[in-house]
Amino acid sequence: MQNRHDKKENSAKMATKVLKTRTLLLSVVLGIVTFVVLLCRLYYLQIIQHEALQEKAVAQQTRSSTITASRGTIYDATGETLAVSATAETIFISPHEITENECDKDLIATKLGEILNVDAEKIRKKEEKVESYYQEVKKKAEQDEADAVRAFINENDISGIYLVPDSKRYYPFGSLAAQVIGFVSSDNVGLYGIEALYEEELEGTAGLVVTEKNARGEDVLYKYEQYYDAQNGDSLVLTINSTIQHYLEQALADAVKKYDVKNGATGIVMNVNTGAVMAMASLPNYDLNNPRNIQDEKLAAQLEGLDGDARLEKLGQLQLKQWRNKAINDTYEPGSTFKIITLAMALEEGLINENSTYECGGKINVPGWPKPIWCSRKTGHGHQNLGQAVANSCNPAFIQIGLKVGTDKFYQYIKDFGFLNKTNIDLQGEGKGIFFEEEQFGKNVVSLASAAFGQTFNVTPIALATAEAAAVNGGYLRQPYIVQEVLDSKGNVTYEHDSTPIRQVISEETSQRVCNLLEGVVNGGTGKNAYVAGYRIGGKTGTADKTGTKTADNPKGDIVVSFVGIAPIDDPEIIILLALDTPSRTTGTYPSGGNMVAPVAGRLFAQVLPYLGFEPNYSADEMVGADTNVPNCVGLSLEEANKKLKENGFACRTVGEGATVTDQTPVGGSIVPGTAEVVLYLGAEKNDKKCVVPRVAGLTAEQANKALTNAGLIMKVLGSTSGNTNNIRVTTQSVAAGSEVEAGTVVSVQLADTSMVD
Amino acid sequence: MTAEEKQEKRRINRIMSKGPIDIPFAMLVLLLTSIGVLMVFSASYARAFYEASNPTTMAALSVFLRQFVFAVAGVIGMFVVSRIDYHWWRRWAVPILIGAIISLILVIIPGNPLAVTSGGATRWLNIGITNFQPSEVAKFAVILYFAATISVKKNKMENFREGIFDYVLIMGFISILMLKEPHLSGTLLIWCIGASMMFVGGISKKMIYAGVIVGVVGIVVLASGILPYGQSRIMQWKDPWAYAADQGYQTVQSLLAIGSGGLAGVGFGKGRQKLLYLPEEHNDMIFAIVCEELGFIGATLILSLFCFLVLRGYWIALHARDRFGGLLAVGITTMIAMQTFLNVAVVTNTVPNTGISLPFFSYGGTALLIQLFEMGILLSVSRQMPGPKSG
Repeated sequence: MQNRHDKKENSAKMATKVLKTRTLLLSVVLGIVTFVVLLCRLYYLQIIQHEALQEKAVAQQTRSSTITASRGTIYDATGETLAVSATAETIFISPHEITENECDKDLIATKLGEILNVDAEKIRKKEEKVESYYQEVKKKAEQDEADAVRAFINENDISGIYLVPDSKRYYPFGSLAAQVIGFVSSDNVGLYGIEALYEEELEGTAGLVVTEKNARGEDVLYKYEQYYDAQNGDSLVLTINSTIQHYLEQALADAVKKYDVKNGATGIVMNVNTGAVMAMASLPNYDLNNPRNIQDEKLAAQLEGLDGDARLEKLGQLQLKQWRNKAINDTYEPGSTFKIITLAMALEEGLINENSTYECGGKINVPGWPKPIWCSRKTGHGHQNLGQAVANSCNPAFIQIGLKVGTDKFYQYIKDFGFLNKTNIDLQGEGKGIFFEEEQFGKNVVSLASAAFGQTFNVTPIALATAEAAAVNGGYLRQPYIVQEVLDSKGNVTYEHDSTPIRQVISEETSQRVCNLLEGVVNGGTGKNAYVAGYRIGGKTGTADKTGTKTADNPKGDIVVSFVGIAPIDDPEIIILLALDTPSRTTGTYPSGGNMVAPVAGRLFAQVLPYLGFEPNYSADEMVGADTNVPNCVGLSLEEANKKLKENGFACRTVGEGATVTDQTPVGGSIVPGTAEVVLYLGAEKNDKKCVVPRVAGLTAEQANKALTNAGLIMKVLGSTSGNTNNIRVTTQSVAAGSEVEAGTVVSVQLADTSMVD
Repeated sequence: MTAEEKQEKRRINRIMSKGPIDIPFAMLVLLLTSIGVLMVFSASYARAFYEASNPTTMAALSVFLRQFVFAVAGVIGMFVVSRIDYHWWRRWAVPILIGAIISLILVIIPGNPLAVTSGGATRWLNIGITNFQPSEVAKFAVILYFAATISVKKNKMENFREGIFDYVLIMGFISILMLKEPHLSGTLLIWCIGASMMFVGGISKKMIYAGVIVGVVGIVVLASGILPYGQSRIMQWKDPWAYAADQGYQTVQSLLAIGSGGLAGVGFGKGRQKLLYLPEEHNDMIFAIVCEELGFIGATLILSLFCFLVLRGYWIALHARDRFGGLLAVGITTMIAMQTFLNVAVVTNTVPNTGISLPFFSYGGTALLIQLFEMGILLSVSRQMPGPKSG
């Protein structure tokens, strides 16, 4: 019994011991191990994974609405605004809400259509989409339209019409410098030109409002909002001068019209001492405020009769055409304008000098080429010194010069003048010229012979202008550029262009000699039509065949006529490059750079140089015809008036019998050519009868002057007057023949030598 | 045992049951209940507001107020139960077990108007004033019945027939009923509780090894996802982000809440995941809200409280006056420990998702009442601990 009891006691003790040890074990596992596991897991999720998970959580918990940053303004060099953003409002309706609130759909459609100038029927259709919360009615509505919509909403207590702030890009000058400035998408992202290239600077940083939302997308009970201010975009100051740009575009447009130019035109006005592009134009162009519209009438006509996909495809092609900046995107064979470079390298190398002479029999044979290479004047230029060879743009002479330089050196200069690379101008899509491979070029002299006068290779207009600027500015090659400064939103300059030269290609002395020789081109050479009285201008004409354009329909092929002008040539400041792509051969003007482009350049120089503040400096000869201020003689005695007019170089005649001048034509203060005759009225009534302008086009200067003076008008001469040959004729007159104008009106006539072959 | 002896024992029992309760354990329970009710407030008001037919402040507070009332009642109940000598419950072991089984059957009777279905599972009975979960009762019934019988079997537990067979039979039967609901997590809990009580109760080492092997193999088989059942759950567990839009949504939202909390949390009441993003946010997923609002620091503190509670529960079991008290304490403590671990493990996607509530925190009146009632029994056990009370 005792034993049994002991046994029982023992087993109970054992059981209690087991219970205790096992409970202890359990408490370690369930009371410690599990918690350590959980804490490790929490540490991983909350500390290590914190940011990743938080980011995801915030993304679903918040709604962020952007505050658009104001896009930077683009200014021209004189502070004129070329592109600016203004607030606009996009108007949309929520058909769902309109239906829910049982608003008058008809009223909304009619009234919105009226205010926003949108088809009411279209709005009605949108209202029918009752499930939709967002139907756009008008994108970027003007401020006054938006105000009218707001008033309409308030008056009629309508819900379901919304206005969201947006911004709209305005280009105050319309099509001016269109391809340079470029335009933006409806989301205000730059698509073309400076707008695209400087997108980062211009766009600014959008601000943000973050609001909390619940899983249903509703705003939450308590407001939680965070604001991040918008950072407005930087503004740009361009080197483009809107006045010069306007002159350039006008000159090109006139030329395109006059010579019926097939493939458009391009022009560059650049400061040779900095590389700043003062104007750059490309035709056809377009209105920046409506970039998708085809502006050129001839191009627009191509769309007529097309519809559907065919129309869209054509439209796309034409848009690309007008958006293209030919000055940098396209390449062409420079032709004789390139001779400046050949000339510069040969002078620099000391291989030729002003006393070198050349015989031109109209053609030349080049070793390795079976056929003779012809000069533009097939009868030949005969015996010429270097200056004459340049002025005559003689191909055989330049082939000889090129051959003297040799392939290796020629190639080296091509490289040094930057023709093998892009200029890196800050514009979009700059093309790269196409020149021979060095190895290929060195094999024989045929390529060299043609390259010496600018054929068989391609350059971009900007690359040619850049290289030739280096040839005349003392030898310094500079990167051309468009953006002078970047200004932050407070107006501080954050970037300024550095015009440090890339390298010196030729010496200052050589450069000076190049200039002197180029002046001869305008002073009586192939470029004489670019002559402007009172200014010293140098230049080079060019007419280049476009290789591979000869077809059965077009036996003579396409040509590019161009002119490169530099002024003032004694201390070069600006270079102008103008090129017309394929003028008509049937306008009566023989297609050549000298005939077609030089006069345009002359007119452009005559506008640009005075605008830039270059004072004309007339020679004695020029003085006669130079513009002079007519002194006011009214109230003076006849004797005094006579004396005064004579001092200013005017001739005079009198009408009437009095002793004092009672009236005069032209009136005092008018600016007329010094050769004009001033009519003094001595008591007699001024003849108020209108004068009829005679037709003078086609006459010589002398004949024209006579005709105009007889009609009571004053002739002002533009263009070349030197070389008193019968070839110089009036090509245009500023007032159309047959118009009735007041007596003493100045009629400008353009004189040009129409026999130029370059 | 003579009548005098019985009389004497009853007298001693009466004196013993008047001993002081274990203050640290009671404090931990009160602390966790209070924090839990506050967290229910923070977690619930957004949904209560949004989903009310008439959204007012009162609507927003409705869930919290209900939980608060049950918590107050539960705490009072806990102290009342702590005054009842836990031996008194021994006689109720079989009736309660039978009652639990009956109520489990009631739930799964097809077409029973009292059965309440929610979230695809029929786990509740409508008893007029509130819904209650028979499985909550079943857990307690198992603890009480196992404690009552294992405590007298002592070394007979080493016997397979006595120590294993009966109990596995009971748990198996209950499991079948619960899986009908279905209630996988509840079944799992009952097996964990039962197994740990059998383990502590003295089953043979052979059986322990066999149990461990069965358990490990079971977990491996389940986790490998080779079983057709629960395969998608395993997939969601391994890569919840791939199922973020549908089945993995709850897990993903929970992880986002926890991760957002970081070290210090977004602040009490300021959590955003409860704004209808996280489902079950005041229920099974409430710990995610705790993590979001109170951060790693707050979550660690609350887990520490649970840890102390569990350790103290086992400490009471170790110092219990007798085997019955010890086994009761082990059962109840294991239940709290397992439920806490599984809940937090689910919320943190440490284990595959299964619906399991967090003691004292998850919303649910009857569950909280029963938990506090069980705490009362543990406190009652603590009153009869012999020797000087420490702590």
